[in-house]
Amino acid sequence: MWTYILRRSFQALFTLLIITVLCFLLTRFSGDPLAQYAANPRMSAADKEALKERLGLNDPLYVQYFKWLGLAIQGDLGQSFFARQPVSEMIGQRLPNTIVLMFTAEVITVSFALMLGIISAVKQYSFWDNAITTFSFIGFSIPIFFSALGLMLIFAVQFKEWGLPYLPTGAAVWDKSDPVEYIKNLILPVTALAFVNTAGYSRFVRTSILEVLGLDYIRTARAKGLTGRAVLFKHALRNAALPLVTIVGLDIPFLLGGAIVTESVFSWPGMGRLFWEYAQRSDYPVVLGVLLIISTAVVVLTIVTDVIYTFVDPRIRLS
Amino acid sequence: MKRNLFALLSLLVLASMVLAACGSPAATEEAPAATEAPAATEEAETEEAAAACEPAGTEPIAFPDGGKSVTGAYDQEPDAVVPYFTQMSYAVWVTQMTLVGLGEWTDEGTFIPELAVEIPSADNGGVSEDGLTITWKLKDCLFWSDGTPLTAEDVAFTWEFVMDPGNAVSTRSGYDKIASVEAVDATTVVITFSELYPAWPTLFTQGPNNAGAILPKHILEGVTAAESDPFIRMPTVGSGPFVITEWIPGDYMELLPNPNFYKGRAILDRLQIRFVADSAAALAALQTGDVDFYPNFSEGDIATLESLAPAVVLTVDPGSNFEHYFFNQGRVAGVDGRGAADNEGFCPFKDVRVRKAITLGINRQAIVDALLSGKTTVPVSQWPNSGWTNTSLTVDGYDPDAAAALLDEAGYTLGADGIRAGECDGEQVKLSFNFETTTAPIRIDIATAAQADLAKIGVEFTPIHTPAGTFFGQYVDGGPLTTGNYDMGGYTTGFYPDPYTNSYKCEEIPTAENPSGNNWYHLCDPALSDLIESSLATVDPAERKAILDEAQAYIAENYYVIMMYARANVMGSTPRFNFGPSGGDSHMFWQAETWDVTE
Repeated sequence: MWTYILRRSFQALFTLLIITVLCFLLTRFSGDPLAQYAANPRMSAADKEALKERLGLNDPLYVQYFKWLGLAIQGDLGQSFFARQPVSEMIGQRLPNTIVLMFTAEVITVSFALMLGIISAVKQYSFWDNAITTFSFIGFSIPIFFSALGLMLIFAVQFKEWGLPYLPTGAAVWDKSDPVEYIKNLILPVTALAFVNTAGYSRFVRTSILEVLGLDYIRTARAKGLTGRAVLFKHALRNAALPLVTIVGLDIPFLLGGAIVTESVFSWPGMGRLFWEYAQRSDYPVVLGVLLIISTAVVVLTIVTDVIYTFVDPRIRLS
Repeated sequence: MKRNLFALLSLLVLASMVLAACGSPAATEEAPAATEAPAATEEAETEEAAAACEPAGTEPIAFPDGGKSVTGAYDQEPDAVVPYFTQMSYAVWVTQMTLVGLGEWTDEGTFIPELAVEIPSADNGGVSEDGLTITWKLKDCLFWSDGTPLTAEDVAFTWEFVMDPGNAVSTRSGYDKIASVEAVDATTVVITFSELYPAWPTLFTQGPNNAGAILPKHILEGVTAAESDPFIRMPTVGSGPFVITEWIPGDYMELLPNPNFYKGRAILDRLQIRFVADSAAALAALQTGDVDFYPNFSEGDIATLESLAPAVVLTVDPGSNFEHYFFNQGRVAGVDGRGAADNEGFCPFKDVRVRKAITLGINRQAIVDALLSGKTTVPVSQWPNSGWTNTSLTVDGYDPDAAAALLDEAGYTLGADGIRAGECDGEQVKLSFNFETTTAPIRIDIATAAQADLAKIGVEFTPIHTPAGTFFGQYVDGGPLTTGNYDMGGYTTGFYPDPYTNSYKCEEIPTAENPSGNNWYHLCDPALSDLIESSLATVDPAERKAILDEAQAYIAENYYVIMMYARANVMGSTPRFNFGPSGGDSHMFWQAETWDVTE
């Protein structure tokens, strides 16, 4: 197993290197960080040239890349062109907020998906199955910017207008050390995220349980005289949940990237907004920093998921 | 196996709970304790002056229970608040409230003193006869928010700091024309220019399009590579009505009253600025009262805001920025060896009749009425809503018949496909060309309206909407404006508080030798170029006005640009918040000390 992990780690390093090259080229060609100053009558041509020189944009592309990579390897993600703060500091400020939002949403999503998926599978073609299926397709089809804005308009704006107790839009300045305030501000964004994700996950759980329920060993378990509940939870779910582990495992690194739309709608100071705001300004160091963290997490967690798999599923051996 | 699965799930739950616990207040940016012991000044006069008056406090006034608090929403977070290091409006909207200058512009565009006693003029002896020396007198008993005296030394230091090659300021424009800044005594500062600089009022003064605050010598003395200094990003000592006390990136900024503000303490007890993603988030928050104001709605939002009254109060102030359409004039007149553009513009645009016909063929007033709720105007020139406007000019109204007649006269006749064609430089050319601008929704709507209008006179005008980053791309990256690779273009700009612009200067046409040139019209009309340059040869405002009047008339006669509409500041606020008089250029932030709430 250790050989396996070692081999995978080397592969991962190589993959990461390729990713950095691609990300660097993609961000470098995605826009011009000086464009925001272009129509600015206050800055003379010489000012713009000086700024370009200071940001290192006059260097050949490969020099820029190796300079960045050299520092990144040492843990220095550079300084934001725009905010003039170290990128790692900026990420450090946003990451905890994103983790709270995304992991809460993920836990709720997985719990609901399991619940709904099981009901759907066990009571196949019943009223509940149809209802859940309908809900899933609605959740799946509505773009998140629509459901997020809709939730905000109903539960914040309209509820206030109707004189009902209403939830915050997230745009007020609120006290993050007050747990009640925290939960109140978390409800709408988490609901928006969970609504969309639960829909997809529950379909997934339903399908994999249905698949497992038709297998011989389940018939054997039933023949043994086990109760339906025991068959489901002891035997079926165990195997049916395996693909879910893969999906959740692969989801986790992306959770670190935050949710651009949800964070934007609810003014949540997280990674998604950081990425989006600085991508719009073509602030390469920040965009690259965020991408590097996400891709590293993806690569590392893919290995971790594979290793965990051997524990969850004894049929799998790493070699 | 079941245990494993549940262990994994519980681990997930546990992990998220732990992370949730860690996630509470995001790394709070601690306000550096910038209060140093007031520096003992060496000059005896300063000591005397300081002895005669005392600061009201040494730190921002803490927020009392039940105090008056206002929250604003900004959809862009400032990069740095110290003005010499930023070019962002949102940053200047914080600077206006925290670091003031010697003078500022009122809501009506009048230049008034701030830290100074009066505006220097030839009459009061502040402007020397040759126009090269400007003498500013500061008010007595000025203090920084930490209680240190604010003196002429700070003004002199500000200039040295800006000119220090070790500090990467965003622009030294104007400051590089100064030979010396001398603090004659604690309240008198003499600025000597090395050459005539008529825009001297824009130096060391404040306004949205020029930000020249006075900087604290006692804090910044000895600082180099200041662009990365925490104080430059977040000045915790200031001279404005408020002082920044906290700034959590991506979240909010808190400002508390400055006890030593020269006009007395602000009425509000606290001002918070919440950073939101966009104007839609700000609008929802305004409706629920989560925020009290948002300063930067688009003109396209006016109708929505009007429909939300009385819960949301709408304020629209037309300003000196303008949206204009223009013709690529590349190589039209590259005469005298000046201003040879790389790319040639669309041939028919060389004919003033074609330019005039297109101007007359767009119903600009209808666009303003329908798409901008009639809240702004079609300006006569590129100096709208300012004292520099040539008031003798009039706007050409919509006249499709006259436009058609002009095109006929120019030899462009209607073809079977409804598009005119004619001969230009010996070649058969169809009046079909591209119009390039950004992807802003209001620009898309207006370009579509213009397209429909021009189709009626047999002109095919095809809008191309490119993201701003590409549209304004640099010369080396092949940006369409800078390389002159477009037919017609449109965007917003403005020339104020000083009216000078180099965007008509032949030498400013971007080329490989001068890739950052500002003449994106690629127009070299030596008469116009020289005329505008001559406005720099005098400091006498009346003389400059006469020159600019002539330039405006010249541009109008030649139909070089189509003035679409004067850009307006569109602000939304809650009824409880009163922000007093606001004006186009000074925006709502020039008198933040008078802001109040009615509960």
